[in-house]
Amino acid sequence: MFKLNLKIAWRNLWKNKVYAAINIGGLALGLTAFVLMLLYINHEESYDSWSPDLKNVYQIREKHDFFTPDNKEHWNEISNSRIANLLRAKLPQVVAVTKVDNDFDFDNGYSLKVDNADPVIINKIKDSDSSFFHVFPYQFLQGSADKALENKETIVLKESLAMQLFGTTKVLGKTVKVVRWETDKGTALTITGVVYEPNTPQSVNFNAITRTGNKDKDPENPTNNNYCQVYTRLNKSSDTLVLNQTLQKIYIDFKKSLLSGQKKNYNDIYKDGKLPGLKVIPVSEVHANPPYNMNWFEKLKPVMAISAFLLLVSVINFINLATAQSVQRAKEVGVKKVLGSYKTQLTWQFLVEAALQSIISLFLCIILIEIVLPAFNNHFKVDLSFWHNAQLPVMISQLVGLFVFVTLLAGFYPAWILSNYNPVSVLKGNYENGLRGIALRNVLVVFQFIISVTFIISIGVMELQSRFMSNKDLGFERGNLININTNYEDDFVERLKKIPGIQYVATTTQVMGNAFNVPEEVNYKGNAINLNTVTVTMDALPALGVKVVQGRIFSKEYKQDTVNTVVLNEAAASLFGKNVIGQTYGKVDWEGKTNRFQIVGVIKNYHNEGFDKTVLPTVYKVTSLGGTSNTNNLLVRFNTSKYKELIGKIEKEWKVLYPNFPMVYSSLDDAFSKSLEDNNRFINMIILFSLVSVSLSLLGLFALSTFVARRRTKEIAVRKVLGASNIQIVNLLNRSFLVLVIVANLISWPVAYIIIKKWLDGFAYRIDMPISPFLTATLISIIIAVLTVSIQARKAAVTDPVNALKYE
Amino acid sequence: MIDLKNIEKYYASKGIKHYVLRHVTTTIKQGEFVSIMGPSGAGKSTLLNILGMLEEPTYGTYEFMGEDVTSLNERKRIELYRNHIGFVFQAYHLIDEMTVYENIEAPLLYKKIGGSERKSRIADLLDRFNIVAKKDLFPNQLSGGQQQLVGIARALAAQPSIILADEPTGNLQSAQAEEIMQLFQKLNKEEGITIIQVTHSEKNAGYGNRILHIADGVVKDDVAVSNNVKI
Repeated sequence: MFKLNLKIAWRNLWKNKVYAAINIGGLALGLTAFVLMLLYINHEESYDSWSPDLKNVYQIREKHDFFTPDNKEHWNEISNSRIANLLRAKLPQVVAVTKVDNDFDFDNGYSLKVDNADPVIINKIKDSDSSFFHVFPYQFLQGSADKALENKETIVLKESLAMQLFGTTKVLGKTVKVVRWETDKGTALTITGVVYEPNTPQSVNFNAITRTGNKDKDPENPTNNNYCQVYTRLNKSSDTLVLNQTLQKIYIDFKKSLLSGQKKNYNDIYKDGKLPGLKVIPVSEVHANPPYNMNWFEKLKPVMAISAFLLLVSVINFINLATAQSVQRAKEVGVKKVLGSYKTQLTWQFLVEAALQSIISLFLCIILIEIVLPAFNNHFKVDLSFWHNAQLPVMISQLVGLFVFVTLLAGFYPAWILSNYNPVSVLKGNYENGLRGIALRNVLVVFQFIISVTFIISIGVMELQSRFMSNKDLGFERGNLININTNYEDDFVERLKKIPGIQYVATTTQVMGNAFNVPEEVNYKGNAINLNTVTVTMDALPALGVKVVQGRIFSKEYKQDTVNTVVLNEAAASLFGKNVIGQTYGKVDWEGKTNRFQIVGVIKNYHNEGFDKTVLPTVYKVTSLGGTSNTNNLLVRFNTSKYKELIGKIEKEWKVLYPNFPMVYSSLDDAFSKSLEDNNRFINMIILFSLVSVSLSLLGLFALSTFVARRRTKEIAVRKVLGASNIQIVNLLNRSFLVLVIVANLISWPVAYIIIKKWLDGFAYRIDMPISPFLTATLISIIIAVLTVSIQARKAAVTDPVNALKYE
Repeated sequence: MIDLKNIEKYYASKGIKHYVLRHVTTTIKQGEFVSIMGPSGAGKSTLLNILGMLEEPTYGTYEFMGEDVTSLNERKRIELYRNHIGFVFQAYHLIDEMTVYENIEAPLLYKKIGGSERKSRIADLLDRFNIVAKKDLFPNQLSGGQQQLVGIARALAAQPSIILADEPTGNLQSAQAEEIMQLFQKLNKEEGITIIQVTHSEKNAGYGNRILHIADGVVKDDVAVSNNVKI
């Protein structure tokens, strides 16, 4: 019986090739989007699950405002380096504690030099102490965890880096010269180990772990603090809640004694309910809980919703077509019932048919995934793979689950409808009662169109917003401006200034691509004002090409400018009130002395970060009084279009001074594009999804209108005999679908409005909600729906009525 | 074999009962060949549907092989279909996606008859109806008469004790119709299969041995036919 049913299923698919193709293809598309999402989620979930021993490993998080993006307090991944020793001394469960460098996004890597080879820049080289491999259970290919970082000036490489540098992993005892910045003389480190790449991603990701000795000791002066990541391995997996309570107690004592060492009073700082904080989180949860940003799950939510919707749309197509087609199968049901088939047997038969189609879709989906995965990886900067996945068994069980789910979702309703056909009415010959389920089918079509129209509207608004952003005045001239990753060194700057075509060479602590916020509190006419401080050289503001609103910007003519004058941006000026030029404010430096600064100018706000962030109230200073150090920016503005030639000249000068470190630079144009990148990527993805969704809906509509036209063949024939014109017939068929599309539009307007509003609210600089995308989407949806239905309707209208009426 | 007592069937709409059948009381014995005749809308098909348990009477009792089947659950009814009742339809109702062979095989599969017996029974039927050469064709590749032959072969496959036929020759030319009727008569005579058919044609009714005339839902006439001449 089963074999026969499969045969019938196959013959039916073959007979209705086009619809089967629409069904299966559509489902495969929906599944592909969904499975890609699954792959991605699996990847993200798999972080730090590469060894069972990791369950006893914890990351330390300290609550402070040092080095946070918005200058406010957060639970940070970087902690005071003294905490490592504190844990060793005070927490009995501790087996090992290690300190390791943080990932900073402005970190461009170190230059590695092997023998006489050219230096190469390698990122993610992290300095740690002797305990790193006691905390993290990496597998050693060469060397051992106990011995590897036993001595100072050692380095442990990942397998891939060893291969890159030496072409072999047998590198124990060789030396690598690590040059951390261009003026660094470099440290020769001995390779003491090579570790395997674990089979899942790691939140403490590295290409090499070094032990230079810098992490071994904490600064002696209590006012100096080093910040780094701290990880610990405990002797057993513990309840983090209890552990954190203990930690908090230990930490408060520690903080009190530290502050008294800095001649500060604990009670002055921590009052009004403000408390210091220290906690641990299991390393497996680190990736899912980033300190400042949304975690991956939050970020992914909209995309997950979209891919679930796509799957739903394709399942809806499936249900729609299957119920529409059920008319054709009614006779089979009736006959089988009188031949002695149970209803459940019939239900099973149709479920098996749905299963057959979904299994084909699933195979197609796997093929599609293999095809699109490289592009997907590229686009989302991940490295996913289907077959070479560490979690292939998990993946396969998920796919089986998905298969069962889709089959039931798509197959159950049609199977139920079919197996409920009453044999009497079916066998009498009037089994064309396709009216059954028509309401549901209409609801489903409306639902599909709601999704599609919402997508189209979203694309429209997103397009307008991104056009707005790429054309928005940044407040500075981004063309002909490059930023070299180096500090301001007079020697190098003098050499550059001699190159014809170079207009300005300058440095600033904050520029697009390297935003570095340093908070300070100033006192103006008795009020405290919080500002972001940027230290610049004399030429920096003209080099950026900022616009002066009031007063003047720094100039060599004013000696005072290197001492105590400042320039504000408009955002800051508005905090000070009117007529700020010439006013002075006070700022207490770290020794407790008050310095006074005079405001000499106000410039237009300029952007250092993406448009999702507001420009901070910022004060610009040339002076070293209360200023901050260099942050690896060297702005070079040139007034020639011979870009390449000029860069070549700059690189030549660079090589003379810093032979052991390659020059790294970026143009401000690129930095700007990069700030838009995330957003563009999101929009591209939405466009892709919309295309799939719209085409799925249209396929569904196309197939459904075919069936309706076919079902109404007789009605059409009769009308034609009675004198209806072809146009009238086409209109007749269009009308019923048009109503659905219009209803869908009415519903999707508010839905789209809410969703898009939320998206726009994520931007500090945004357009007003435009009306045109809404109108356009409605127009588009109506036009394409009418076109789709008309193709079918015309076919029905022009057929000879005789054929339809000849035989009942 | 079949015992109908006071069968009534009506549809109620807006409080008015529209009778399709009234006070139908009759007995059909094993081995009879009964034709139900009457004008359009008289209730012939409804009566046949009730006999086939496709519809339930609103009133009255129906005993099939000594068992009250007036309202039977699905499982029991299907058991009867599998073992005792074969249907033949005016529009043949072969399953379009199955070959001739598979159409005949279907009831045997439901009856869970083993592979080898299935094969021999189907071979026997194909042979008897002279359609061996057509066994791998699909219904739409056959003429109407051939389709009806397959339809009857399918009805016979499960070796039923009764065949219910709703205008079995209604869509056929007279030559083909005659062939089918002769086949029915032969089955009735030689194998003792009870046959109940609905027909418009006096000639077709002549093949049977009893005619029930129905008009306005009431059995007007119940006559025996002597048809010895025909064979």
